[in-house]
Amino acid sequence: MNRSRTPFYIVMGIIVFLYVPLLIVIINSFNMSRFGGEWGGFTLKWYGKLFNDRDVWHALSNSLIVALSTTFTSMVLGTVAAIALYRFRTFLQSVNNVFIYMPLVVPDILIGISLLLFFVALKVHLGLFTIYLAHVTFCISYVAMVVMGRLQDFNYSVMEAAMDLGASWFTAVRRIMIPILAPGIFAGGLLAFTLSIDDFVITFFVTGPGAATLPLYIYSMMKHGSPMVINALTGIFLTFTFIIIIISKKLLEEK
Amino acid sequence: MMKRIVLCLLAALVVFAGTSCGKKETELHVYNWADYVNPEVITQFEKANNCRVIMDFFDSNEALYAKVKAGAVGYDLYICSSYMINVMYQQNMLKSLDHGKIDNLGNVDKQYLKLALDKDMQYSVPYMMSFAGIAYNKDKVKNFKASWSMFGREDLKGRMTLLNDVRETVGAALKFNGFSYNTLSEAELAKARDTVIKWKKNIAKFEVDEAKRGLDAGEFFLIHTYNGDALQLMDQNKKLAFAVPEEGTSLSCDDMVIPETAQNIKLAYAFINFMLDPAVSAKNMEYINYLAPNTAAQKLMPEEFLKNPAVNLPASIVKKSDVLKDLGAENVKYSKVWDEIKMAQ
Amino acid sequence: MKERIKKRFAELLLTMPAMMWLVIFFVIPTIVIFIIAFKEGDSFGGIGREWTIRNFSELANPSYPVIMWRTIWLSVLTTVICLVLSVPSAYYLARAEKKWRDILLLLIIVPFWSNFLIRIFAWKVVLHPEGLLKQVLVFFHLASENTFLLYRSEAVLLVLVYTYLPFALLPIYAAAEKFNFSLMEAAYDLGAGRIQAFTRVYLPGIKQGLITAIMVVLIPALGSYVIPDIVGGPGGEMIGNKIAQRTFVDRNLPQASVISTLLILIVMVPLMIRLAARGRKNGDADTRGGFM
Repeated sequence: MNRSRTPFYIVMGIIVFLYVPLLIVIINSFNMSRFGGEWGGFTLKWYGKLFNDRDVWHALSNSLIVALSTTFTSMVLGTVAAIALYRFRTFLQSVNNVFIYMPLVVPDILIGISLLLFFVALKVHLGLFTIYLAHVTFCISYVAMVVMGRLQDFNYSVMEAAMDLGASWFTAVRRIMIPILAPGIFAGGLLAFTLSIDDFVITFFVTGPGAATLPLYIYSMMKHGSPMVINALTGIFLTFTFIIIIISKKLLEEK
Repeated sequence: MMKRIVLCLLAALVVFAGTSCGKKETELHVYNWADYVNPEVITQFEKANNCRVIMDFFDSNEALYAKVKAGAVGYDLYICSSYMINVMYQQNMLKSLDHGKIDNLGNVDKQYLKLALDKDMQYSVPYMMSFAGIAYNKDKVKNFKASWSMFGREDLKGRMTLLNDVRETVGAALKFNGFSYNTLSEAELAKARDTVIKWKKNIAKFEVDEAKRGLDAGEFFLIHTYNGDALQLMDQNKKLAFAVPEEGTSLSCDDMVIPETAQNIKLAYAFINFMLDPAVSAKNMEYINYLAPNTAAQKLMPEEFLKNPAVNLPASIVKKSDVLKDLGAENVKYSKVWDEIKMAQ
Repeated sequence: MKERIKKRFAELLLTMPAMMWLVIFFVIPTIVIFIIAFKEGDSFGGIGREWTIRNFSELANPSYPVIMWRTIWLSVLTTVICLVLSVPSAYYLARAEKKWRDILLLLIIVPFWSNFLIRIFAWKVVLHPEGLLKQVLVFFHLASENTFLLYRSEAVLLVLVYTYLPFALLPIYAAAEKFNFSLMEAAYDLGAGRIQAFTRVYLPGIKQGLITAIMVVLIPALGSYVIPDIVGGPGGEMIGNKIAQRTFVDRNLPQASVISTLLILIVMVPLMIRLAARGRKNGDADTRGGFM
C-alpha cells in the first residue's frame, strides 16, 4: 500500500504557516523604514535602539528574578507532589491529583483575576512578589506533570533493594529516586522557567508599579512605543529560544 | 554536570538579585499619559537628582483610577486630568502640598488658576492643558470637514478610531448633538449613546495610543486624539493634519499630584518643581506640543507656537467647548451609557 | 502500627507543601471570585460592603449571548482545525526517520517557545492593511482595497489556531509515537482501505492524545483575552475581553467577577464531560500516573 503524501504536505504547510510571520518580523527588524509597509534599506538601528533602551534591561532583570525564583520553588513543590502521587493511593492523593490538574486546564485570565481579587481583598500590595506567587501557582502543575512522566518509567525495585539493605524510605528517595529523576526535574524546571518568562495575562493582572516584566514591557511598547524595536526584540528572542531548546534537549537525552 | 548547572542557576539568581538590590539608587515612580514628557527632560532630572524615573502609562483617567483602586500603590506621582484628581481628592487619596517645597510655584498662570478646580493648588499643580480633536491623513481623507460628523462617514469605514475614554467619546457625541460635555440629562445622554453606536460601525476600534501609531503607519486614516499628540505625529509625518471640530470640544488640564501612599515624597516634590522651571517647561512644550499654564515658560516660546490654533485654541471655539468636570455620583450615568455602547453589536 | 504512622507522615510531608500552596493561591481565590460577584461595587471602583445579586442582572444584557456564542464558536472551531491539522502531521512525524523527526519537531517547537505576545504582534504586522500580504491578495484579485484583514473575528481565529496548534500537536504526537503502526499494516492486509484504517485503527489508537489535545486547546481558548484584544477589534470580542474591560477600564470588580463566574461555568462543561467519561472507565491503566 503506498503511503499517502498528504500528511507530509500538511506538516510542511504547518511549518511554513508557523514561520512566515516570524520571518517577516525578523526581516523587518533590519528594515530602515519606520513601518513595515515597504523596504527602506538595511539597518541595525533598531537593534541599537533596543540595546540603549534602559527599561528593556530593567524589565528583563525583573523577568529573570521572578522566573528563577519561580523555577526553584515550583521544582521543589512540583517534585514532591509528583512523588506523593506516584507512591500513595489514598483519598488525599485523589484530591491532590485534582488540585494539580486544575491549573493546567483553567484559562489564564481566570487565574489572573482570581489572584487579583484575592490580593485586593487582603489589601496586599501588588508588585514583583505577587507576580512570583502567581507564577509558582501555575508552574507547580507543569513540573509535577513532567516528573510524573519520568516516574512512569521509574523502576521501583531499586528503591526496595535499598530499603532491604537498611535504608529508610526517605534516604532511598533522597539518594536514589531524586538523582534518577534529576533530568526530569530539570526538564520540568526549564518548562517552568520558560512559562514564567513568557507569561503575560496572569502577570498583567497582578503586577504593580515598577514591576514590569519583559512581556508586560513588550505589550507597553506595542501600545505606546515604537513598533519597529519590537521586531528587533523578536530576533533576539528567537535566537535565545533556539539556544535554550538545544540545551534542554541535551539535558533530556542524558541518561 | 548536574551540579554545575545548579551552581550556575544559583549564581545567576544571586547576580540578578544583586544588580537590582545592590545599587539602591532612588527611584521615582510616575503614572502618566504616554508621550507626555520630553525624554530629554527626564534624563536632565535624573542627572540633577541622581535617581531613576520609572514611568508607567495609562490610557484614560478611569483606567488610572481602576488600577490604583485595585491595589497599585507604589506610585509617587500621578499626572492626570483635573476632574479625576477631584474624585481622588474627595476620597482622601492625595497628599496636601507643602508650597514651601515648590519654589517655582509662582510661575503658574494666575489667570488660569482663577478658573481651576483647585484654585489654591492645595493638592495639585497644573502641568499641561489639552483639548481633543481629529487627526487625519490629508491624502486619504477626501472632503474633510472639521466636525464630529466625520465619524459618520461610511467611506472611511474601518479606518477610524475613537478614544477609548468615556468622557471624551460620549462627550464628543453630546457636543455633536448640541449638548454639553458635562450634562446630567438622561435624555441627552441617550441621544449621545445612539450616536456613538452609529459611529461604532465605522471605526476599527476604541484606542488611545495605538491609534496614533496606526495613523502614522497608514493603518488608520482618521483618529480621535489630543492636540499635542497630533502635533507630535505631524512633526514626523507631513501627510497628517489636525483640526478641532467646529461644534466645540473638551478642554482639560492635567495636573501633578502626590498620592497619599507615595514613598519617595522628596523626589516627587523635586519633580514638580523641576517641571515648573521655565526653561524645562519650555523644552517640554516644544517636544510634546502642549501648552503649559506657566507664564514664565510661555514667554520663552516662539510666537508661532503660541499662535498655533492647534496649541492655543482660538477664543471662538473655546466659547463652544466645555471644561471636563467631575460629576460625582452622577458619573454612574455616563458609565451606564458607555457600557451600553461597548456592548452594542 | 508504627509503619502505618510513618507512611502516613511521609505522605503528608510530601503532599502538603504543594497542596497548601494551591489551596491558598488557587482554590481560595477561585472561591473569592464567587464571593465578590455578590458584593456591591462602590461607584468609585472599590469593593463595597453590601451583598447584592444585582450584578447578575448584568448578564441579562442581550449582547452577552452574542459574545458568549462567539467565544464558544471560535474556541470550538480553533480546536477542530488544530486537530484536523495535527492528526495527519503526527502520523507523518511518528513514522518518519529519527533524523528528520528531530529536526521537524525542533522546527515546530521553536516558534512555540518564543514569546507569545511577539507572535501575535507578528500577525498584526502581516495582516496590516498596508502590509505585504494585503498587497499580494489585492494583486491576485482575492481582496479589494477596502477589505480588512485585521479587527475581525476571522483574524482572531487565525491567530488562535496559530497559537494553539503546537499545544494540540505535541500530545497527539506523543500518543502517535507510542502507537503500534504494524496494526495499520494488519488492517490493510485484512482489506481495509486507507481511510478506513485511518479512522478505525489509528484514531482510536491515539485517543488519549486526542483528548489531551482537546483539553489544552479548547479550555484556554475559551479564556482568550490578548488575541482578541490585539487583532479582534469590537467585532471580534470574546468573554476574556469583557473581564479585562470590567477590571481595568470600567473599574467594576464585582461585575468582572460575575463574568468570570460565567466563564468558569462555560469551562466546566468540557471538564465535567471529561471527568464523567473517565469515571466510566475507572481503574483503567492509563488514568494512573498521568492526569490526562
